[in-house]
Amino acid sequence: MSTLILGIETSCDETAAAVVEADGVVQSSVVSSQADLHARYGGVVPEIASRRHLELVAPVVRAALEDAGVALDDVDRVGVTQGPGLVGALLVGLSAAKAIAWARGLPLVPVDHLRGHVATLYLAPDPLDPPFTCLLASGGHTLLLSVREREGYEVLGSTLDDAAGEAFDKGARLLGLGYPGGAEIDRLARDGDPEAYSFPVARVAGLDLSFSGLKTALLHAVRGLTETDLAARRADLAASYQRAIVRALAGRLRAAVERTGHETVAVVGGVAANSELRAALPDARFAPLELCTDNAAMIASAARFARAVEPPGYLALDAYPSAPL
Amino acid sequence: MLVLAFDTATDVATSALLEDAEVLGERASVAKTLLEDVDALLRQASARPADIEALVVGTGPGSFTSTRIGLAVARGLALALDVAGAGVSTLDALAAGAEGALPVIDARRREVFVPGAGAVAPEDLDVAGRLCVGDGALRYRDVLEAKGAAIPPDDDIRHLPRASLHARLVTAYGRVDEIEPIYARAPDARRWRG
Ligand SMILES: [Zn+2]
Repeated sequence: MSTLILGIETSCDETAAAVVEADGVVQSSVVSSQADLHARYGGVVPEIASRRHLELVAPVVRAALEDAGVALDDVDRVGVTQGPGLVGALLVGLSAAKAIAWARGLPLVPVDHLRGHVATLYLAPDPLDPPFTCLLASGGHTLLLSVREREGYEVLGSTLDDAAGEAFDKGARLLGLGYPGGAEIDRLARDGDPEAYSFPVARVAGLDLSFSGLKTALLHAVRGLTETDLAARRADLAASYQRAIVRALAGRLRAAVERTGHETVAVVGGVAANSELRAALPDARFAPLELCTDNAAMIASAARFARAVEPPGYLALDAYPSAPL
Repeated sequence: MLVLAFDTATDVATSALLEDAEVLGERASVAKTLLEDVDALLRQASARPADIEALVVGTGPGSFTSTRIGLAVARGLALALDVAGAGVSTLDALAAGAEGALPVIDARRREVFVPGAGAVAPEDLDVAGRLCVGDGALRYRDVLEAKGAAIPPDDDIRHLPRASLHARLVTAYGRVDEIEPIYARAPDARRWRG
C-alpha cells in the first residue's frame, strides 16, 4: 500500500479529518461543520468552536479512518493545521495530532492552513501543476498568490480589511439572511437584478483589495428602506452586492495574471464555491465544491509538500494564530 | 498497570507515570510542552508509548484553552493506544495533596474556582482559619490572608495539582472520549468575525 497521510484540521469552525495517499488520492474526508451552532451568533464564537472541536476531534478522526477502510497502523504520517486560525481551536487539533503521532512513533507535518487551501489543487484525479496564479478567498483570508512550486507561494496582494467571505457574511447580516452568508446571498442573488444598485468597490493601489466600504454602502442602501421595501428589494440588493464582490475579485485576479504572466489561473477557499464567481472566471481552475470550505484533505495534501518532523522534534510545537508575513 | 497521568488546567502542567500505586516519575512544565514531559517520563522508565495501559487526566476547572490541551492529548493518546482513562477534577487533586485545605484555582478576571461554587471573587470566600492552596490562593494571598486564611509559602508543593494525586483518586476507568472538561463558567459569546 502506498504512503498514507492522516490530516487533521480545526482552525475555525469545521472539525475535519481525512486520509490521503501520497499520490493525492483522497481515501476519505470527514468534515463536521459547526455552522448551525454559530448561526445564532451570526458568526464564529471562538470559545464555543473550541469546545466543540474537543468533542468532535476523536470521533471525526475515527470516522476518517473508517471511511478509508484503514487502521492507524496503515498511516505513515500525520499532517495537522498549525495556523493561522483561532488559537484555542487550533490547539485542540494540534494537541490531538501530536499525541496520535507520538503514540505511534510517526512523523508529524505541521501545515499552514492557507497552503492547505492551495494544496486542494494538487489532489487527484486532476492535480494542477505550477506555475499558476491563485485567488484564495474565504471567511478569514483573501489573497492573490503567485504559485511557482507546490512547496509554497508568493503573496502578490491581500485584503486590507475584511476578507471576501467576511464581506458576504456581513452583507447577509445586513440583509437579514442567515449564516454563513455566502451561500445565502448566492441563492438569493439568482432572483435579483445585479445592476439594480451600484455598489462601489474601493480602488486600492497594487494588487490589494478592500471590502469595508462596500459593506458601508450596503448599510446605507438598507437603512433607507422600510421592512416591506427591504423584502421587495432584498434579492436585488443581494445580487448587486454579490456582483460588486465578484467584480473586485475577478478584476484583481486578472491584474495579478498580467503581472505574473501565468497561463493558468485558480481559485480556492470558501468563496470559490460562489456560482457567480465561477461564471465570471470560466477559464479558471476552481477547487472542487466539496473542498472549497475548510477540510482536512487539503491539509493532508499540503503535508505531502511540507517538511515532516520526526518524534520527539514536534512535542513542543505550538499553534500560530496569524499568518507569518 | 502502567498509568500515565497529567493535568494542564493551570499554568503549571503536571505529569506522572505510575506502576499501580508506585510513582515512577513526576514532572512539571506548561501545557504546550506536556508531551515532552510525557516522553521523558517514559524514557526514564524505559517504557514505550505502547506500554501505557491507562490514562488519568485533570479536567479543570482552570484556563479553558489549557484544560482542553490536556483533554485533546488524552483523546489523541486513547485513540492511538486504545486505552481507557479517567478524569479527575483539578480541585480534587489539589485537595488530596493538602489535608483539610481549601483548593483555590485562579479563574482570571479577578475570580477564583473553589469546590462547588463555580467562579467567585476571592473577597467573597469564607476562609477564616482555613488552609488555602493552589495558584488562586497564591495570586490572592493578600486578600485571603486578610480574611484569616493560612497560605503556605509560594514554593510549597501543595500549591501544585500534581498528577500523581489525580492517579490515586481514580476508582474506575472508562472511555476517554467521554471525559468532559469542567469549564465552570459559560463561554464568552463574542463573535470572531467582526
Ligand atoms: Zn480556510
